[in-house]
Amino acid sequence: MATTPAAAAKVWEQNATPRHRIQWCPGCGDFGVLAALKMALARLELMPHEVLLVGGIGCSGQIRNYLNGNGFHGAHGAPLAYATGAKMANPELTVITLAGDGDTLAIGMENFVHVSRRDPHVTLIIMNNGVYGLTKGQNSPTAGLGQTMEVHTEETPPFVDPLRLALVSGASFVAQSFSGDPKHCAEIYAEAITHNGFAVVNDFSPCVTYNKFNTYEWYKEHVEDIPEGHDPSSRDAAWALLDDFDRRGRLPVGVVYRAPRKKKPHGRLPIWDEEFTDVDPTPMLRPFR
Amino acid sequence: MVVNNLKLLVGGVQLRDGVTTITDILGKMFVRAGLHVLAMEKGYASTIYGAHQYDPVVVSETPPLSYGDDRTDILVALEFDTNPDVQPQPNRDTILRHGKNLTDGGVLLYDSTTGVVDTSDLEARGVKVFPLPARQIALRELKREVVKNTVVTGALLRLIEFDMDYALFGRYLEERFAKRGREIVELNLEAARRGRAVIEEVMKAHGWADVGYRLEPRPVETPMVLLNGNEALSMGAILAGCRFYAGYPITPASSILEFMEAHLPRYNGRALQGQNERESIRAAIGASITGVRSAIGSSGPGISLKVEEFGVAGVTETPIVIIDTQRAGPSTGMPTKPEQGDLAMAVYAGHGEIPRIVLAAGTVEECYTMAFEAFDLADKYQCPVFLLTDLTLADGRKNLPEAFFAQHRRPVVRHGLLREADLKGDGYRRYAVTESGISPRNVPGVPGAIFKMSGSEHDEMGMVTTDPPKRKAMHEKRMRKMQTYLKEDVKPPQVTGSPDGVPLLVGWGSTKLPLLDAHRRLREDGLETAVVYFTHLWPLPVHLVRPLLQRGSTVIVVEGNYTGQLADLIQQECLIETRRILKYNGRPFYTSDITGGVRQLLANGTRVVRVGDRAPTVVLETVPEGD
Repeated sequence: MATTPAAAAKVWEQNATPRHRIQWCPGCGDFGVLAALKMALARLELMPHEVLLVGGIGCSGQIRNYLNGNGFHGAHGAPLAYATGAKMANPELTVITLAGDGDTLAIGMENFVHVSRRDPHVTLIIMNNGVYGLTKGQNSPTAGLGQTMEVHTEETPPFVDPLRLALVSGASFVAQSFSGDPKHCAEIYAEAITHNGFAVVNDFSPCVTYNKFNTYEWYKEHVEDIPEGHDPSSRDAAWALLDDFDRRGRLPVGVVYRAPRKKKPHGRLPIWDEEFTDVDPTPMLRPFR
Repeated sequence: MVVNNLKLLVGGVQLRDGVTTITDILGKMFVRAGLHVLAMEKGYASTIYGAHQYDPVVVSETPPLSYGDDRTDILVALEFDTNPDVQPQPNRDTILRHGKNLTDGGVLLYDSTTGVVDTSDLEARGVKVFPLPARQIALRELKREVVKNTVVTGALLRLIEFDMDYALFGRYLEERFAKRGREIVELNLEAARRGRAVIEEVMKAHGWADVGYRLEPRPVETPMVLLNGNEALSMGAILAGCRFYAGYPITPASSILEFMEAHLPRYNGRALQGQNERESIRAAIGASITGVRSAIGSSGPGISLKVEEFGVAGVTETPIVIIDTQRAGPSTGMPTKPEQGDLAMAVYAGHGEIPRIVLAAGTVEECYTMAFEAFDLADKYQCPVFLLTDLTLADGRKNLPEAFFAQHRRPVVRHGLLREADLKGDGYRRYAVTESGISPRNVPGVPGAIFKMSGSEHDEMGMVTTDPPKRKAMHEKRMRKMQTYLKEDVKPPQVTGSPDGVPLLVGWGSTKLPLLDAHRRLREDGLETAVVYFTHLWPLPVHLVRPLLQRGSTVIVVEGNYTGQLADLIQQECLIETRRILKYNGRPFYTSDITGGVRQLLANGTRVVRVGDRAPTVVLETVPEGD
């Protein structure tokens, strides 16, 4: 924890990278995520050394280097599994996974589903733009949002809805945000980060270069705050809400589902020499006598 | 009369007949009686039920050098069913498979519940045959089919005149069944006595005073334990400070995961059964970046699936121990049969180049001791460290003095994990370019520094870069760790015998014992050789290996694979010509494979002998021009 909220804000305000080295297109939705994360981390008064940012492959994953805090970046589709291992090993860390829709829902789908089941205290922000931007705009599994498909082919399947997938997979916190509104995003992120379990935030983060359909304007027309009366602790209410928004052609923004599971706490695993001094091998040897 | 030296083979139908129940009981009793046990050839199938299973056990007065050949002194066949319409009858399965390997004058004990088997061919060779209606005794007389194994055990104890007062057997039964009631202990003792009675009748009828083999208890100088390579390795890993282990069910690595699940929580560690092979290694990498000594274990097919992460660990400089209990590949291959086919994968797998260290254990003892080495090296060099074993070691059991484990235990000393005090002042760089190639390492959560670790090429701060000088410096820094390792930590091959001017028998992994045994037997036959046995395979210490191998008259590499993967490495790195004895039929190397192979190689000047048929075949391979 930082000494004061002001000190925390100052720490997170600094970019870990000089501004000119931020390699996102001007107007990229990811800037909104970056701004919102800074606000959320400052509000939670976390210090950079307490935070582990695990980035995916793609434009989105670069955010780990633009923010303060420890950063790890490995294989495509893998960040959630690294994050799970890190959190299991050191529950005192705040672990946030930042990955794109391709990383999370295509090559990393297996991890998305199973980490939802495992429910580690890890936050996942899907920086969702419907395209593989870094490789010049191929369709991702969330491509086609808001478009009706008249003819289906194997090459162009309908899009995956990460919220529904998270719900059926057992995620205990499911939310959606729009990076065009960083202040609202920050609120949702802060809530996700403090949620004691796996928190999925599907963030609409427009790709201004390659997604000419799901633009800022398009999102602004389609997003709608989740009504105040919604009960996020109810699974049924969550499904009903998603169905209702779907019928009306709207995209809900806010917390759809939040139901923390009962957990067995676990301490940090031993790492320092002195934590290994009184290890008695007898219980391991006994069965072989 | 042969005293305290025999090879016993128990065979039967997997899951049903209790093959390993019997060998487990006997193994424990033999070890408690001060005898030595080596059981490295457990034969089982990739099915739950129904296939043939066998478990040969070598028992001797001094630690056995190897598990011998196909030769068996006492054969126990547990199949009891018979179908007169099907020839050969199923209850002959074990006899048909293993009877031909019985020593002349050996012993056959089989379950004759459903009929007597024609064993005249064996009897003609002097084999003493004991039909024992074990299942019938259990079912009809004792009303509990499950005690048929005890009937067989009782019969066996009588045959080898061991523990005739049931002091050891009674103690075992007490430990195992006392909680479930005295009557179970009594029932088992009675079952054993009935088995003994049958043996005594047969002996009386034939007028045999004994069967020619006897085990006598020895004074127990030091308490012993009986365990397999996976168990020794797991114990070593935990004592070496491994506190996060991830696996995925796969033969023959699963028992490591089971051991870790059973014991790691006791030591504040965690074991994770991944949802797939990739999640396992990724979670272990995640744990490792927080500073925890982490390991994954798998076998060939699983290791193949993890290859991408070798590069991640190599470039992010994350320590990880990768245990590969090799089995016969490729693809699914023969999941329950041994092979040494993964060396090339461990050395080369993955795109691009990373620093990595490849170690191989050759005995149950080395499974334990090398676990410490693997974790220390991973920690120091911040790279993947492969610890290769194989199915023979994974399932192979051996007795060891308890004191061995204390003697070879190393304290956990973390190499260069920075604490808060170490991080005072600015200028910490996770990937600082150093002469040794090893950079200082912080862990998240410790105030004073943060890291940016990346599988993308990066600068000293961990920021992504493609700048040519920076890339060059960083790539060289990483690869330089291998030079440091070769200077500071690599170990030369173990040499047995004087290598000067004699054929060198070179090997790695579980061929160690057969190699040493072959060396001894060849010497008895008047042929001097020396054994050069590798534990540290990659990077190959050419500066140590080349001068050593040059001292021999010829280099014969003995490997359980088709191509000769170590032989290729030696040729490539040391520019020394190698000859090869290769076996890949799904069985471990027998001493006779090696002695026979050496004789053939030396007699006719071939380069490669492929063994594993009953008679070793000689393949004359074309020598490429200029070779």
